[in-house]
Amino acid sequence: MDDQPLSGLIRRAQGGDGTAFAELVDLHYDTIYRFAWKWCGHRANAEDIAQQSCIKLAGSLVQFRMQATFTSWLYQLVISCARDWQRAQQRHEHDALPENEPPADAARPEDSIYLAQLLEQLDELGEGMKETALLVHAEGLSHAEAGRILGVSESTISWRVHVMRRHMNTREALISGGV
Amino acid sequence: MRAQSFEYQLRHTIPPAPDPEARLKARRAALAEFERVHVRSIEAARPSLGEWLRSLQFNRVALSGVATACVLVIGASLVWLMPASERTIPLQVRFIEREPPPAIEPVLQPVEVPPSVGPPEVQAPDLQPEPLFAFATTLPPPLPADIPAAEEVVVVETARIRQQQVEMHSPTPVLAVESDESSGAVRSDLEAVTITGARVAHRGLLSRKASAGQASGIQRSAEGRDKFQHFETNPVKRVADAPVSTFSVDVDTASYSFVRRQLNDGVLPQVDAVRVEEMINYFDYAWPVPESRQQPFKPTVTVSDSPWSKGKKLIHIGIKGYALPARQQPDVNLVLLLDVSGSMDSPDKLPLAQQSVALLLDSLKPTDTVAIVVYAGAAGEVLSPTPVRNKEKILQALNALQPGGSTAGAEGIRLAYELAERSFRKGGVNRILLATDGDFNVGITDQNELKGYVERQRAKGIFLSVLGFGQGNYRDEMAQTLAQNGNGVAAYIDTLKEAKKVLVQQATGSMFTIAKDVKLQVEFNPTTVAEYRLVGYETRALNREDFNNDKVDAGDVGAGHTVTAIYEITPVGSEAKLIDESRYAGRENAAAPRGTANEYGFLKIRYKLPNGFRSQLLEQPILREAGVPASLEQDVEFSTAVAGFAQILRGGKYTGGLDFEDVIEQARDALGADPNGYRAEFVQLVHEAQKARGM
Repeated sequence: MDDQPLSGLIRRAQGGDGTAFAELVDLHYDTIYRFAWKWCGHRANAEDIAQQSCIKLAGSLVQFRMQATFTSWLYQLVISCARDWQRAQQRHEHDALPENEPPADAARPEDSIYLAQLLEQLDELGEGMKETALLVHAEGLSHAEAGRILGVSESTISWRVHVMRRHMNTREALISGGV
Repeated sequence: MRAQSFEYQLRHTIPPAPDPEARLKARRAALAEFERVHVRSIEAARPSLGEWLRSLQFNRVALSGVATACVLVIGASLVWLMPASERTIPLQVRFIEREPPPAIEPVLQPVEVPPSVGPPEVQAPDLQPEPLFAFATTLPPPLPADIPAAEEVVVVETARIRQQQVEMHSPTPVLAVESDESSGAVRSDLEAVTITGARVAHRGLLSRKASAGQASGIQRSAEGRDKFQHFETNPVKRVADAPVSTFSVDVDTASYSFVRRQLNDGVLPQVDAVRVEEMINYFDYAWPVPESRQQPFKPTVTVSDSPWSKGKKLIHIGIKGYALPARQQPDVNLVLLLDVSGSMDSPDKLPLAQQSVALLLDSLKPTDTVAIVVYAGAAGEVLSPTPVRNKEKILQALNALQPGGSTAGAEGIRLAYELAERSFRKGGVNRILLATDGDFNVGITDQNELKGYVERQRAKGIFLSVLGFGQGNYRDEMAQTLAQNGNGVAAYIDTLKEAKKVLVQQATGSMFTIAKDVKLQVEFNPTTVAEYRLVGYETRALNREDFNNDKVDAGDVGAGHTVTAIYEITPVGSEAKLIDESRYAGRENAAAPRGTANEYGFLKIRYKLPNGFRSQLLEQPILREAGVPASLEQDVEFSTAVAGFAQILRGGKYTGGLDFEDVIEQARDALGADPNGYRAEFVQLVHEAQKARGM
């Protein structure tokens, strides 16, 4: 969608136009859902996160300023929702059953399994790593854009990308070395 | 083994197509929420002022019995008071495709109060657990719920259950600013007001008054439970009326980290979260250090033109404490007091605290000791004082901590002091590091008792620093007060980088106090200075007579700390003067002592050595021709840029047309070597502020 109609839509929705807001949700649900899915690697969870994100969008759309690009802002919102969701999950884990089994619901099942492993590794690498990887590699954003979304500098993103690459290289070397 | 790189995998793993049903569900839920937000803001706008004032009389009674959290609502014109039972109606999913409702800015609106209404203060019963650290020394006494006072109008609304549910899923309400749940207070002097907000009303604590400068409808964080002490920006003073300005130093930097976090989340911070001096002091400046250890620091004074008002000058007063070389570091006896309550269960809280402490261990000597005490439902000793050479043991204990339970801060503090006393190092550093999100909600009955306790321990030589973590629940004022009473610093840690700055790079600073009770006093020369204004330090103001009174507590300076204060002055004869001459006052000008015509004023600094009880005095004149030495030009300029930025964030009452653009330009010119990238980060932050202000 062009910038013009989109910003018109946003403005109308910000002014309280429900139809415009509905259209906005329709336009972006896929983006939200796909990002959420790559973030958690689980369909039902991604749907949860996407729904939370849409709800949050309703409340916070008025905060969106036209100077940022809408999708950047949206990523920020989805990441924030995803993290909230994860926290809520962790809270429940204390008195509930252990982690749910890795689901195989990607277009190709082995992709899901690999993704789940990958996400776990990235999580272990440190805070913000997974989000960095998703924004840069999965969504194809520039380091500067990813930095803006995650609230860190461009060089931090570059550094994270480098760290992840290094980590994966070591890992892959270990695996192919048959250790 | 996989042929493709992980980057390739990330890009090419195809998510399953979205389920149409889930999509529909999300759409419906979002529209319901949208409807709720907008319908409410429209309905809210309806009742007239008179109506709600009348209804308030009734509703206050009704509300006082409702056992739910109370939140403040936007302002005089946006009132929506209903019994809680009716409140659920707009929550039902009842979205109809309909004509767009009239455009209403739902979040923050300038509110004007007609002059005919003398707004009574109406206090809601605060049914949240009492915040702990509302110390009577800094705050007005709590008002009973039913006594109207003249100062402000506070409208109270009962939180809706559904809202609470949503909130529960969003402990970090970064983007979930709720239009109708902001607190508002309207100044009785009838200025237009922008509302900043907090969800929890606490008497006195949250009397947030917005000033005229911020009336432009700028959107600010209406964020939830973060609490900041309200203070007014220092005014311009006439030298003829008040020639002497006195304040305590402040090496805290919590305000900057908090502001940074808010801006990075895309919202402007609450005005009261911005403490100009803490923003300035976040950065390191190369103020010269004394040659001899006899004196912990020496003042540097520069005079430059004010970038935001023509005809005015800025006087920078900078002090830098000498840094201790590593081998001279005294012995350290550290007790970590960690909040492990349920609210700490978030990656930016306990886990970050754990990582931060792990970083700190690296900068301690093998013989230093560390103990760990946790508090939640019950307080407990996790690790008795252990030498740092057994680092593994410390790390193990640290990493085994799990959040859970409610917070009982007081018990934990007592236990921590007991441990610190047990392993007390004479002549060393004995310090408690309290890491919390500030949620000291449970188990405290007497606030002043705790404050007194911390003070008494300080007298024994055990100091306390507070590290704030997380967002949404952070009690800045509590952290400040506790740290001030415990001779420590309050720092807000939002990232590991910040932890590194505070704990490691400043480990020697935060931990090794080299001067305590440091007070500054400037007497201006009425023959050369017409008016002056202290930029920042509002919460650190002292009375003139406090300066020489050694009983009056003030801030401490640690090894390597820099403290910078800026005065803006209007020289005599400048067009920029704001205050007219008094018609009847005599002209004191003639009386100035000889030989002072080249002075803008006279600076005095009092401090005590860490174990001293008697204060020492440093003095030096502020010369008109002081200028700025070339070696300090960038530091002066950069600190000025930060001061300008902070003032704009506070409403820019005295900064004229200064804008974020100017700040960026100025800061860029003054980046200097910037070894850690903090100054570059600042420039980035101003960009964020620009964006957040937007449109």
